[in-house]
Amino acid sequence: MSGGLWRLPALALAWRNLRRNRLRSVLAALGIAIGVFVIVVLGIFGTVLQLSASQELGGIGNQVIVSPAEERQAEALTPRQIQSVERAAVGRGTAVPVYAENALASAGSQQSPAQIYGIDNPAALFEGRDRSLPAQHRGGAFVGPSVASALDLQIGSTVEVGGQQYRVVGFLEPSQDITPIQPNNAIVLAEREFTGGYDQAVVVADSPEDATAVADDIDRRLNVRTDRVDIFELSELLDTIAEFFTLLNRFLIALGSVSLLVAGVSILNLMLMSTAERRGEIGLMRAVGIHRESVLRLLLAEATLLGAIGGFFGAVLSGLAALALWAVTPIGLDVVVVPRNGGYLVGGFVFGIAVALISGAYPAWKAAGERPVEALRG
Amino acid sequence: MNNTDHTTATVEPAIRLESVTKQYVGAETVTALADVDLPVYGGEFLAIVGPSGSGKSTMLNLLGLLDGPTEGVVRLGGRDVTDLSETELTDARREYIGFVFQDFHLLPTLTAVENVTLPTAFTDGQYADRAVDLLGRVGLGDRLDHTPDELSGGQKQRVAIARALINRPEILLADEPTGNLDRETGVTILEEVRRICERGVAVVAVTHDELVTEYADRTVRLVDGRLGEGDDGFAT
Ligand SMILES: Nc1ncnc2c1ncn2[C@@H]1O[C@H](COP(=O)(O)OP(=O)(O)O)[C@@H](O)[C@H]1O
Ligand SMILES: [Mg+2]
Repeated sequence: MSGGLWRLPALALAWRNLRRNRLRSVLAALGIAIGVFVIVVLGIFGTVLQLSASQELGGIGNQVIVSPAEERQAEALTPRQIQSVERAAVGRGTAVPVYAENALASAGSQQSPAQIYGIDNPAALFEGRDRSLPAQHRGGAFVGPSVASALDLQIGSTVEVGGQQYRVVGFLEPSQDITPIQPNNAIVLAEREFTGGYDQAVVVADSPEDATAVADDIDRRLNVRTDRVDIFELSELLDTIAEFFTLLNRFLIALGSVSLLVAGVSILNLMLMSTAERRGEIGLMRAVGIHRESVLRLLLAEATLLGAIGGFFGAVLSGLAALALWAVTPIGLDVVVVPRNGGYLVGGFVFGIAVALISGAYPAWKAAGERPVEALRG
Repeated sequence: MNNTDHTTATVEPAIRLESVTKQYVGAETVTALADVDLPVYGGEFLAIVGPSGSGKSTMLNLLGLLDGPTEGVVRLGGRDVTDLSETELTDARREYIGFVFQDFHLLPTLTAVENVTLPTAFTDGQYADRAVDLLGRVGLGDRLDHTPDELSGGQKQRVAIARALINRPEILLADEPTGNLDRETGVTILEEVRRICERGVAVVAVTHDELVTEYADRTVRLVDGRLGEGDDGFAT
């Protein structure tokens, strides 16, 4: 005989006991597996939803748009205000002063309403369609996709805005981002085509946090006693959206936890039944000198094993389900395979074990604590 | 050979009940043992007989440190163990006492060797070799890896005896050891127990079985929780 007959006695005995009534054990572990699966899948689902959404919202949180305060009826930002905005943006992003107005654009017999911008650095706010935009506007017009198709424009076509004719030098890429500076209906001209003060200043910040900081800074610099400028900044909206998704995620997980709770009850039931059936065996173990704590450990090992087996399969299945989500839907791997989802996998597994352990605790404690005389009497 | 001759001299009993009373308190209080004095010496085979309800099991439980007396003292090798904690009693049972039951009480999931080593499973020592040895001694050298459902009643009881000996006990307690066995099998079991006794172990068997008393050195009779006097109590 090998020397290591009882190297891990609690685990070895627990394993034998679980195999003894295999169907019953499998069903109990299945309950845990389903509970863990539901929790992990809902958790991952929530993450995917949230990450996909924030991808869609994209740059929304990074822009700060400063315009003259509405109640002051000023037409334009003053050079001093522009300077303040530029100072506030230093180290946190790029400040872009903007002329903006609505006008009718025409080409030949066709007309289309358009948002006309005067920007010397179009690359800061827009993407070019076929080639990238210059950081210095050299004249002509960059045209958004809607206007371009409405007026049937090509590179080199002429577009007329406010009685002036401009040569089309490039097109803007449509944007998925939610932002007030939309490329679709835009025609971007050079600044020199405009006169007077700037209508807006846009700060493209490096991050939502920077955007918040820049907005606060501008507010402090310019709106000292009265509001001289309106500051439009969406990072807070983004926070609100993130909060909503966190809440949604918690709700989903709480929903999943109910199924794990049910699994816990079934383990409680199984442990109560199996310890009642083995009353004499447990009494025998106690009589021949096995301590109450050892019996307790053995019984808890049984519950833990059920939880571990169930939790393992639940976690593996939900991992596969997540990969299936990536395989059969347009959802990208970059929002599925993220640390937080790994956290759900591990967390679900651990949670499954914990639920089984907690459910097994009372029956184990009860059975281990019974006096051997009583247990042996049957 | 009769150890009782030496009892009044210097030898300490392996275990002793001193003026032990055991009462079960319930709706009405039952006095299961009344003022019992009983020393059991090493190398002695003691049979306890008596009608049902006379207190035999109660007495065996007290001797096995599974239960404590309401009054009186239990001495294990001279040491008063009446007031030990449950943990200490558990250790004492594992170190000094072996149990054999009427219905064997083997764990169905374990092989013969595993069943025999079960009392030591949670201790550090290595007992597998001794278990194999003991099973060989009780004639089960070829059944080491059989589970209880693959063994006959007599074989199961022999596994149980091997289990009771794994810790080299000083006291072997048997509750109706032949109760579930036919006469022939009973004889082999009793011969086995007799051999154990000859090695210096104190053996106490509770029984209805005349056969057991034939192998015992001493037989005491319990009636209504009192040790019987007279010829009945000392059959040879
Ligand atoms: N746990 C208990 N609770 C209450 N009464 C008991 C208990 N165990 C035994 N008794 C009573 O004590 C008396 C002796 O019982 P027991 O020792 O089992 O006798 P025996 O083994 O000789 O049949 C009986 O009257 C029995 O009903
Ligand atoms: Mg009895």
